[in-house]
Parts: sequence; structure tokens; C-alpha cells
Amino acid sequence: MRLIRAAGLVTVQDLGWSGLRSIGMPPGGAADRPALRIGNALVGNPDGAAGLEVALGDVEVEFLTSTVFAATGAVGTFQLDGTEMPAWTTLTAGPGRRCRLAPSREGRFACLALGGGIDLPLLLGSRSTYLPAALGGHQGRRLAAGDVLPVGASPASRPVLGTTGRADQDFAHPIRIAPGPQDRLFGADAFEQLAAGSYRLSPTSDRMGSRLVGGRIRARQTATLPSESTAVGAIQVPDDGQPIVILPDGPTVGGYLKIGVVITADLPRFAQVPLGGEVRFEWVAVAEAQRLAHRAADGLARLIHEIRGGTGR
Amino acid sequence: MTPTFPRITPLGDAAVTVTWSERIDPEVEAQVARHLAGLTEKLGPGLELVAGYSTITVHYDPVRIGYPALRDTLIPILSHPGEAAAPTSGRLVEIAVWYDGPDLDAVALQTGLSVADVVARHTGPEYRVALLGFVPGFAYLGQLDPSLVLPRRPTPRARVPAGSVAIAGAQTGIYPAATPGGWHLIGRTDLRMFDPARKPPALLAVGDRVRFRAER
Repeated sequence: MRLIRAAGLVTVQDLGWSGLRSIGMPPGGAADRPALRIGNALVGNPDGAAGLEVALGDVEVEFLTSTVFAATGAVGTFQLDGTEMPAWTTLTAGPGRRCRLAPSREGRFACLALGGGIDLPLLLGSRSTYLPAALGGHQGRRLAAGDVLPVGASPASRPVLGTTGRADQDFAHPIRIAPGPQDRLFGADAFEQLAAGSYRLSPTSDRMGSRLVGGRIRARQTATLPSESTAVGAIQVPDDGQPIVILPDGPTVGGYLKIGVVITADLPRFAQVPLGGEVRFEWVAVAEAQRLAHRAADGLARLIHEIRGGTGR
Repeated sequence: MTPTFPRITPLGDAAVTVTWSERIDPEVEAQVARHLAGLTEKLGPGLELVAGYSTITVHYDPVRIGYPALRDTLIPILSHPGEAAAPTSGRLVEIAVWYDGPDLDAVALQTGLSVADVVARHTGPEYRVALLGFVPGFAYLGQLDPSLVLPRRPTPRARVPAGSVAIAGAQTGIYPAATPGGWHLIGRTDLRMFDPARKPPALLAVGDRVRFRAER
């Protein structure tokens, strides 16, 4: 596969690293993991195969062999040789054909899954691109026009499958958050401010963190913590009171107070809030968050099972 | 009555943080190291342990284990920590630094010290690597001279150059790669703190001792 055009944040991502936080390697990988997993199911790949993640711009690729592919996530423009194609659907194209993909305005990350996966060498167990330290993926960097990426062999024949995407994802619902370890260092006013206020996603947000702009969150005291582990979804509150939410490439440890954490079930939906888009939060207890995590995992597993069983729409 | 420390608090629905202190304290660091060894030995697979200066965070899959069950697993292990590991002296690594960082003057102003005093007090102590994190190979070094202790910058920089030598709180460290950062930049080094082609990839390991030397 050759890149004809790559504008914005176009990277190779899989499901990232596991078990390496203690040397400072974050989970990394696709910002919208269900989108990549569904895309991989649509093209007949294992769950963790590497695909393209497109944010902030668009990508146009030329297939060098017959390729099975599917676009998932926040899909805006999606064309094959200039003809609009359906997202969340298994497609096949021969060598020389060109596919263009850009994220929608209502979202942030589009995903292009490719039959056989992007076949780059593993770095510490993942093919993901970790831009902050220029590691992994294709030369540790965002992709550019002219790059050629090896793609594994596509399945010989593949039924055309489609899915309506994620029925369980209600994009209008507030993002649910559970308590963080420093919640007692904030007063009731801070919790209310976070839940009642409307925040916008700053354009300076990236794969490390989503920076929020809105009502100032005040801690009871100005505090610098001895650095400790963060988590994806952790809502850090610097002294300026403008929250920064950790994304997959975010720091593994840090000293900012963490007032709460985006719940596991809502991480993909939070990652898809567009730059400049509005974010609203809703507090839930840890037990409720874990119930929702089960429900989201079950729903996704069922959807993937249906796709793999060939019973998708 | 529940003791103040260690305190077990959820970090959202997929991690829990055990806190022994809210200050950086070499005795607490030793305690954390002892508990880390005990937890590593006694906890089952599928859990990821990350040490902080005075904390251990356990990352878990909420679909596999719930918070109450994990908490019930942790409490008896934390109540009976294993034997203290033999203290290791670690390697002594000397790091040459050009003290010309963009925040050097501001640090001097805020601490009431001269620039020369800031440099002297930063190169004075022998530091110990307490933990790695933030980005691969970022080593957190303590203890900083008390006169250099400052809160983080109110707004983090969007991009700090690789090799920047920085301070915040009672900590000092070196940015291995160009990343956002909220620490005060006082100097720079040309050493590669992290190189995936090198074994081990990180230049510094927990327990190593570090000295900074001023380059002119």
C-alpha cells in the first residue's frame, strides 16, 4: 500500500502495549479500540491487527495488491477512486485503486482496517506508533505521502459484510466519570463544576491528552503530588483549573491531582469528541462504571461474533 | 477505625491506588519497594503494578475482577508485607549538563538564589532513581535541595525539547523525548535517555544513583 496523500495525524495503530507502564511505556494504540476491533472483524483479521488511524486531516492510499478493507470509527469522506463508499462494510479493491478516508466533523478518529493487517515489525509487542518518543509504527512518525507500508495477504474471498456500527454508543449522552484518588482534595463545588459545566475540546489536544477549556476547577489547596501512576481517562487538574484527560499515548505517571476518571465503557466515545466539540460529564459510582464496562464488553463481543459468523447485516 | 495510611482509593473503574504518604520520603520509597515485591509475588496474572514515589497503582480489567474483590485481595497482602529486599546501591551515572534552560532565570528569581547557586545546589546532591515513567525512560530523581523546591508551572508547555533537565517539587529529571511538560527547564544534556535498540532501552534504572556535572 502506498500513501498518495497524508494530511494531519495519520498513524499505524493496533491495540497497543500491555504491562510496560513500569518502564514508562503507555498503553498506546488505537484511540477508538472498538472501531479497530470491528474493522478487523470485517476484513477477517485477528482483533489486534494493525490498521491506519486518521485524525485531523485525511489520507489517500493506493493498493498495490488486491486488498480487503473497511472504514470504521468517525468516518467522514470515504471514497474509492472518487466514488463514495459505505463505512462499517467489507470492501475489496484491486491493485492501482485509490482509497480516500477522512474523519467526520462529528468525530475525531477514523480507522482503516486492511485484510492481513499492516505488517510492520513489532516493537515491544506492538505495531502502534508512539509519537511522543518517536517509537513503533512506521519509523515512529506520522505517515506522509510516498510512504509504502507492507500489508499482509488478504483472505482469498470474503463475503461482503456490513454493520450499523455501535448500537450501544449514545453520542448525545454525557461522558460518565468515576472518582479519582485525589477526589477528597476537591470540594463539592469542584465536582458540581465538572458535572454542571460545559467544556470544549481544545484544538491543542492530541493522542496524549484531551485538553478541556471551560469552568475552572479549583482544588481545596494548591498541591504538587509525588508522581504516581495515571490511567487512560484520568482527569488531571493543573493549577490553572483547565482539565487534561489522559488518552492512550498520555504519560504513565504524573503529579497533577486527578479529580476523576472517564469510565472504561465511555473511553471510545470520549476519544471521539471532535476538536472544538462540547463535552458534558456525569458522575457514576465505581460499581455502576464496572457494570457498564461489562455491558459494553458484552455488546462489542456479540457484535464481533456476529460479524465473524457472517450474520452481520 | 481505619488507619490514614495506607489508603486504598479507586482510580476510576480499572485501577486502584494504594497511598502510603503524600510527601516524598526515602523511608516511604523503601516501604513502597518492599510492598511492590510482595504484591508482584502474591498477585495473580492480569494485574499491572506501577510504583510511584509513595504509591502503588494496580491496573486491572474490570470485566475480569470487580473493585470490591480486588480490594479484599489487596488488604491482607498489604497487612503482611514480605521481607525487606536487600538494599542495592545501584550504578553511579554522571550526567553532563549545560545549565542554560529557558526557566533558569525564573527559578533563580522564585527561589531568591543566584543562577550560580541554583546550579551549585542542583549539582550538589547524589540523586536516586525512584521510578520511571511519564514517557519511556523518564527517570524521577530525588531528593532535590529544599531551596529549589517549586510547584509545577501553572500551565504545562505543549512541547519540551528532548534532553531538557528539569525540576518540579522535590524532583528532578531529564525529558528523554520532546513532549509536553510542566516542569521548570534549567538545563540540557545530549545523552539519550531511551533507545529501544539498546539493551536495556532506558539509560537509568530504579535504584541507580545520579550526579549532574555542569558543562561550560
